[in-house]
Amino acid sequence: MIQFINVSKVYPNGNKALADVSFQVDKGEFVFLVGPSGAGKSTVIRMMFREELPTRGQIMIGGKSILRLRRSEIPILRRNMGVVFQDYRLLSDRTAYENIAFAMQVVEAAPWEIRERVPQVLEMVGLSHRADHYPHQLSGGEQQRVAIARAIVNNPRILVADEPTGNLDAETSWQIIHLLNEINKRGTTIVVATHNREIVTTMRKRVLTLEGGALVRDVERGTVRREA
Amino acid sequence: MKPRTIAYYFRQAVISMGRNTGMSIAAALTVAIALFILGSFLLLVTNANFIAGVLESNVEIAAYLDVDMPRKDAEQMAQQVAAMDLVADVRLVPKEEGLNQLRKQFGDRHDLLSALGGVNPLPDYLKIKVTEPEGVRAVAEAVAGLEGVEKVNYGELVVYRLFSVIYWVRWLGLGSMILLSLSAVFLVAITVRLTVFARRREINIMKYVGATDWFIRWPFFLEGMFLGLTGALVAVASLYGTYQFLVSNIGPALPFVPLVTDSLTVMRHLAWLLLAGTAVGALGSAISVHRFLKV
Ligand SMILES: Nc1ncnc2c1ncn2[C@@H]1O[C@H](COP(=O)(O)OP(=O)(O)OP(=O)(O)O)[C@@H](O)[C@H]1O
Ligand SMILES: [Mg+2]
Repeated sequence: MIQFINVSKVYPNGNKALADVSFQVDKGEFVFLVGPSGAGKSTVIRMMFREELPTRGQIMIGGKSILRLRRSEIPILRRNMGVVFQDYRLLSDRTAYENIAFAMQVVEAAPWEIRERVPQVLEMVGLSHRADHYPHQLSGGEQQRVAIARAIVNNPRILVADEPTGNLDAETSWQIIHLLNEINKRGTTIVVATHNREIVTTMRKRVLTLEGGALVRDVERGTVRREA
Repeated sequence: MKPRTIAYYFRQAVISMGRNTGMSIAAALTVAIALFILGSFLLLVTNANFIAGVLESNVEIAAYLDVDMPRKDAEQMAQQVAAMDLVADVRLVPKEEGLNQLRKQFGDRHDLLSALGGVNPLPDYLKIKVTEPEGVRAVAEAVAGLEGVEKVNYGELVVYRLFSVIYWVRWLGLGSMILLSLSAVFLVAITVRLTVFARRREINIMKYVGATDWFIRWPFFLEGMFLGLTGALVAVASLYGTYQFLVSNIGPALPFVPLVTDSLTVMRHLAWLLLAGTAVGALGSAISVHRFLKV
């Protein structure tokens, strides 16, 4: 489903973010991406939805290289991929419902589809009773759940999350991770970049560890090794 | 494009204009001022052309004969000219009639004429009408070449002056219009840029969830086009009003100046302004979308 082949990234300012990183994520997998700050986790995530292009190497999504996509093909890639960030990125002048519906509007979904689908995902993330609340009326965990609902409302095959629990307390973080796990069980491939040792260790999912831009470990049912 | 998508674009464009009211009004007004001036020049030139055309088709040629030419020769000359191509009618105006006309023009001051002491200094002249306005110059030149013709006069000078005025008016109009259009484009671009800036979060999210480039761009284009069109409507309305006012108030005071009064013709000219305004708006937003909307 996702393939990185000898991917290196040097930012235009000369920062070397990734060096020769190769890995493959299969359909339906749940993968954690860990490593110290500056290791290149966000860079990997951003390359998956083609926010950044690698300096060298190849990236395949669904068996197709995403490097040579025409401009008009990029939206198609992104419609197949939900994205979640640490800072939620909700529109503050719209309610939870409207934030989620927005993602359907911009891909030109029919109004009846929107009316049917948005309540479904709101229920799935457990926020039916918050549909008409604005982001500032929601807790951090609730905002992140709205963001996740928005990310999955168009039924993407892949969901990538960059530190989705970075701003949340332990208990709320667990709610979010369980939610992601739930989504994974319904067949969505999930990649989560995180610093949260406890969660990674407890979840026993596959763990990719980056250090200084290199992939140093790839462990099934892994944990986070404590660095010296 | 689906109708609901188009409806979405329009809604977003209108919302944006509502948000940046001040800038939107400034931009639309600049467009309006530029187009008002453009339209004024357009109407001016149209009327000048119209007047020139009327004058040209009315011109008569006056061919003054040698003062001492015998009346008989003069009559013969009239016949000769009448036989020429493009000549519709020739009338010999004897010097006595010329003097009478002068007398009428001078009115009370006929003492001026008495000073001539009974001698008529005027020559006989031929009043020539041509079959078509384009023939005026050719006939005038042919007649001027005839033996015994002292001097030929026709509307040439007036028409020539008018055309040189039209020429300058055109350049002046073009110059000021270009300058004003540039500032209009610039202001529209700034306004749209403000919108792009105000909506950058939204644009960002639209990209993540897979909106197409054009889906993101259209509302901004529409906003610019609306600004241009609004300005153009203001310009056209005020131009039309001003013009009608001028025609009905000044027209009667200057009966000898023919003006274009046909409102259909005027409206046809003004319709171009609507197009120009929309184009100015589209150009302005294109600049901002291109420079600031990295999708
Ligand atoms: N846009 C950018 N321009 C230049 N350098 C960048 C850019 N983004 C990241 N970097 C650099 O690339 C390297 C990897 O950054 P990245 O954000 O991928 O790390 P990370 O693993 O996500 O870190 P963190 O855990 O702190 O989020 C760092 O050295 C960083 O300074
Ligand atoms: Mg990061």
